Amino acid sequence: MRNRSSTTANKLRFMKDQEFEDEAALLSAEYGNKHGLVTAPPIPVDEMVELYLGLSLEFHDMQKLFGVDDVHGALWVNEKRVGIDRRLDPSSNPAMLGRYHFTLAHEAGHWRLHRQLFQRRANQHALFAENVPRPEYICRSSDTEPIEYQANRFASCLLMPREMVKRSWHEWREGMEPIYLADLRAKGGNDGSDESIMEDAIRPFAAKFRVSPTAMRIRTESMKLLFRRREASLFA
Amino acid sequence: MAKNKRDKTFGQFLREKRIKKGFSLRKFAELVGVSPTYLSQVEQDNVDPPTADRVKRMAELLGESVDEWTALAGRLTEDLPDIIRESPTAVPDLLRAVRGMTADQLRRLRDDAERMKKEK
Repeated sequence: MRNRSSTTANKLRFMKDQEFEDEAALLSAEYGNKHGLVTAPPIPVDEMVELYLGLSLEFHDMQKLFGVDDVHGALWVNEKRVGIDRRLDPSSNPAMLGRYHFTLAHEAGHWRLHRQLFQRRANQHALFAENVPRPEYICRSSDTEPIEYQANRFASCLLMPREMVKRSWHEWREGMEPIYLADLRAKGGNDGSDESIMEDAIRPFAAKFRVSPTAMRIRTESMKLLFRRREASLFA
Repeated sequence: MAKNKRDKTFGQFLREKRIKKGFSLRKFAELVGVSPTYLSQVEQDNVDPPTADRVKRMAELLGESVDEWTALAGRLTEDLPDIIRESPTAVPDLLRAVRGMTADQLRRLRDDAERMKKEK
């Protein structure tokens, strides 16, 4: 494995938007070379994590393990293990499928971008009380650290690759016309927050990628396919 | 090979074979008809190995010997209790007698048994 510029220093490096796209595309391409190219959604993130990255996937009761109730995932870098909270198991909670995928992709992000920050020599151990190995990354929904933000950006790019989103959008909308919040409001049917209206509209599109409407709203807003306001045009 | 198997727990062995065959945890759980959370618990050896019929399904999916996997899981295949019950003294006695023999000796003994059955 080559050293990545983002992880050679022992501290977190600032990454530009395009770098997240590139890092995610690189993982997809590497996976594709070995297991077959991914040309349409959904992205096989389970297979990427387990079969390509070689991480052991485990379901845990995170609340029991860590004593707090908002831990979705954890990564044991030195043991090459990924833990996902069992509440996100989509077979028992189908509504959690998007969240499950995102958490797994998020941990893949830590593995690809940050693992060298935490890799220890084999004789160094970090243990919780009762000899439970301490994960290097405990990912909580309340966490806003830059390292968590970076893993989220990676996950978003991995599960919703830019070009694939554009192609699928074109197919779904029969064109590249963006969706405007004002038009959605005019249609009525949802008097909720801006976010909930946009997420309702985007729900079928999110389902194609097996991600949550929230994740897809954020992605399509950043790709300028979904707008809160009509952009002022010079030629209007 | 046999030694390796004994060194590993059922869970570790299962995970290794599953990955080698290219099944993700969720895909394999779906094919076996269990939840990924349960399968994960089995692979972590946090619960007893699955029932004989599930072990059979797992072995079939992975192209492994059903008998071997059933034994590895500490279970008996469905037909064995009946075989013992049919000859409650002779079969356990035979099993005790062959205990400790090498795989090759057992194979020869089995071939002899087949021959004897044909002569009957």
